[in-house]
Amino acid sequence: MGKSMALADFTKQLDALATEAVRAFDSAATAEALEGARVEFLGAKQGRLKAAQKGMGTIDKSDRPAAGKRFNEVKEQIESAFKAASERLAAAPVAAVKQGPQFDPTVPGTPFRIGRLHPITQTVEELKDIMGRLGFSVADGPEVEDEWHNFEALNIPREHPARDPLDNFYLATAAAATGGKTGLLRSQTSTVQIRVMEQAPPPVRIICLGRVYRPDTADATHYPMFHQMEGLLIDTQVTMADLKSVLRLFATSYLGRDVHIRFRPSFFPFTEPSVEADFHWDGQWIEFGGAGMVDPNVLKAVGYDPEKYIGFAFGLGVERLCMRRHGITDIREFYKNDVRFLHQF
Amino acid sequence: MLVSWKWLQDYVSLPMSPDELVERLSMAGLNYEDRKAVGDDLQVDLEVTSNRPDCLGHIGVAREVSVLWQTELRSPPPQPAEAGPPVTELTKVAIECPHLCFRYTARVLQGVRIGPSPHWLADRLATIGIPAINNVVDVTNYVMMECGQPLHAFDFAKLAGPQIIVREARPGELFEAINHKTYPLEPGMCVIADAQRAVALGGVMGGADTEVSDATADVLIEAADFAPLSIRTTARKLTLHSPSSYRFERSVDPVGVDWASRRCCELILQLGGGRLAQGVIAVGQGTPIREPIVLRLSQLPRVLGIEIPAEEVQRILTALGCQPAAQDTRSVTVVPPSWRRDLTREIDLVEEVARVYGYERIPEDVGVPMAPSHRSHEDRVLGKVRQVLLCAGFDEAITASVVPEELAAVFSPWTEAPPLQTSTPMLKGADRLRQSLIPSLLEARRVNESLGNPVIELFETARVFLPVQGDLPGEQGTLGIVSGGDYYHVKGVIEAVLAALRPGTPLEALDTRQPLLDAVKSSELRVQGRPLGYLGELSAAGLQQAGLRSSATVAELSLPVLVDLANLIPKYAEQSPYPAIERDLNLIVDESVRWASLAETVGQSVGECLERVRYQEIYRDPKKDGAGKKRLLFSITLRSRQRTLTNEEADQIRQQVVAACHQAHGAVLLGA
Repeated sequence: MGKSMALADFTKQLDALATEAVRAFDSAATAEALEGARVEFLGAKQGRLKAAQKGMGTIDKSDRPAAGKRFNEVKEQIESAFKAASERLAAAPVAAVKQGPQFDPTVPGTPFRIGRLHPITQTVEELKDIMGRLGFSVADGPEVEDEWHNFEALNIPREHPARDPLDNFYLATAAAATGGKTGLLRSQTSTVQIRVMEQAPPPVRIICLGRVYRPDTADATHYPMFHQMEGLLIDTQVTMADLKSVLRLFATSYLGRDVHIRFRPSFFPFTEPSVEADFHWDGQWIEFGGAGMVDPNVLKAVGYDPEKYIGFAFGLGVERLCMRRHGITDIREFYKNDVRFLHQF
Repeated sequence: MLVSWKWLQDYVSLPMSPDELVERLSMAGLNYEDRKAVGDDLQVDLEVTSNRPDCLGHIGVAREVSVLWQTELRSPPPQPAEAGPPVTELTKVAIECPHLCFRYTARVLQGVRIGPSPHWLADRLATIGIPAINNVVDVTNYVMMECGQPLHAFDFAKLAGPQIIVREARPGELFEAINHKTYPLEPGMCVIADAQRAVALGGVMGGADTEVSDATADVLIEAADFAPLSIRTTARKLTLHSPSSYRFERSVDPVGVDWASRRCCELILQLGGGRLAQGVIAVGQGTPIREPIVLRLSQLPRVLGIEIPAEEVQRILTALGCQPAAQDTRSVTVVPPSWRRDLTREIDLVEEVARVYGYERIPEDVGVPMAPSHRSHEDRVLGKVRQVLLCAGFDEAITASVVPEELAAVFSPWTEAPPLQTSTPMLKGADRLRQSLIPSLLEARRVNESLGNPVIELFETARVFLPVQGDLPGEQGTLGIVSGGDYYHVKGVIEAVLAALRPGTPLEALDTRQPLLDAVKSSELRVQGRPLGYLGELSAAGLQQAGLRSSATVAELSLPVLVDLANLIPKYAEQSPYPAIERDLNLIVDESVRWASLAETVGQSVGECLERVRYQEIYRDPKKDGAGKKRLLFSITLRSRQRTLTNEEADQIRQQVVAACHQAHGAVLLGA
């Protein structure tokens, strides 16, 4: 049978505990010290407050409500002292309270290298994206072409100057080795138009993008290999007003604000009428590329009836667009592949 | 085409400012290039497209002005007085090569006083950059720049014999041109010859022997029409381009030939006197008869998207020189003028009407019908492949498709056929269609190394060209990778690509021997039994050959194989709700045991509870394990679809694995 404890003794004991606990929490200089004090005073199993609480069972029944009340007051006092100490330590700068090796948040993060897409590819992807939203799907064709697809079907007859051997990369292979076909590196992406139209009936609404080849001496604005985007729309009712409107939608999408389109007459064998399209930007007219209504001879060449079907085509140089956008002044930079250049974009 | 502002006013009035003129001309097809003051005149440079040789003379440009401003065109009707003997008594002309020379006319002037041209003529030529020589030569140049028809004047006395022969050049024939350079001619070129030698390279340049000099008294005036393609080829072969060849290459007006001849004689008589022989010698084809062209008025809105009034259509075509042949409410029929060979079809007339009426009248805001578009599977796969490579720290390169022979020979894993060759090199010495991207990427790496760039991780997606007997080459989309990392680094990247396209696809590595690559650290790669490509570290010799200082690893993969295996729309698979349990293993095996075969044994011995086998490392401790042994450290992750596996079950499976590996590979568990 335990000895009963007087209320006064219990209270005195509690007050001493409170004083000690509050001093311990207030003086804790580190999180570790505070945690030690917390375990000592507030520990759920072995804590001194818990032990003190057990003493309540020995108090005379009549005094218990008063003892309980006092206990709760002391408990709150100790807990709030702990809370205050925790907040004080959390708010204090680490360096001020910690000794030894210190964390330096100004050191750079762990290096993580992300590669870059070539600026030409970035431009190509954007063009595909914009034209995709305008309902043009991407079509593809070979880079080594025969004369039918590169010239004949595009209304460029044998005696046309564009077929001059000096102006094209013909394959040196004997004709027999290619089944009598004279192969050449395509000089324009319009070849893909022919291939698409040969394989499917109208309507046709495509773009083709890719490498084209022309024997130019490499300088700041010329390179014998470059990229073109070509668009083609064939249907029963297509006009030059549609062409102008599509180019305007395209240019407005690409530049991010409303632009105007201007046509200047030009000459291409595969379109009639043929125009140079310009867009008005920053107060001046900028050359966009060639365009026009698909020549009836081209439609006939692929077996479309030009009385029934009609359409437009347009083409532009990807390098020129990319150079203008990024302020690149020498086309040869694209093909040097200096990683410092690539990482600019 | 250089135009003199003052000269142009001979044919059309110019009430507008030069700014207005060039702006309107640009919008109608004569693109404005530049202008500058010359003396008290203005030189205007206009770009003439190759289909419009009629604008290679002042009258042609004036005609455009007259059409656009709806003013009168004044073209002089040349009527030279013929006071000499009949020309047929003086000379004869024979065309022996009608395929090279379509028509040839000759007129003869006797007793001409050769001297300097008057100021008005010299100044006009000076405005457009043509130096004055003497009155006869200047007149030929003047008339060419007036109407676009080139002319030539021979010193008649210097011709050997009275007859002009137009013939093909003979093999090895030499010709000294007016510029006093001698050119070796060949068949296919057209020469104007007398009884002894070539006296002019037809349509390109006159000869030094017969040029008009101060001593000349009698001149023969040539006005002819030469085959465009032959002129072009000749000029290019000899690198001898002249204002004359420029015009013949683009065709001249067949009717204008005689006009120019008469105009030339008229001016010579005016400036140098003398007597013009009666008549003309004209041989060759007659002038072609032009077929009428019907323009249905309904075609204008069909093509242009706008209506143009019928009377406006008629006015434009007539002003351009077309002869009205018929008209009804629905169509206009015209015969095009001789100087417009580019007009043969209805669509050609549509373009003429449109450009004169004005493209600015075509609206730019019509409602184009919507249409769906789709991105191809190939394109999506390529996008994913690029994404993985970018995340792996690789930069995309774009290199030339045509490479020098020595580069093409360096590495060609896809074919043994020799690379295709272009007849003209693309860049210096580069005339082979590449069969691999690796040599180009190694070259890019070398350039970067020489610039001292520390991290050079490159990839490219492009086509390689694989010869096919009897057809155009096969074009294989290819992914090339060149890295400063080792074999395993690049292999990890390739595995990440596969994981992005179809998770769980095993990459098989087979022994291979490739030039450039290390004999051991190189593999042929396969997926699902199909050849995917090649991977390997460069050998010491390979590095030296590529001119590289630091080690490099290359890989080349077939994009079509990746495209085929890619599963871009995976199907949902239910996951087991039970937890996984992992067991580590450390097996001692012979050096010759390869991970792939051991892993296969592991997989078979675990059975259906296997979630994955994870390779950790290879460790060697010859002191403890003996020579020729290695430890393979790996873990197995186990999970049941039916229940939670117990530790005892996991241990049991681990025992099975050890036993199976022992049996199949002689593996011994470390510490066992």
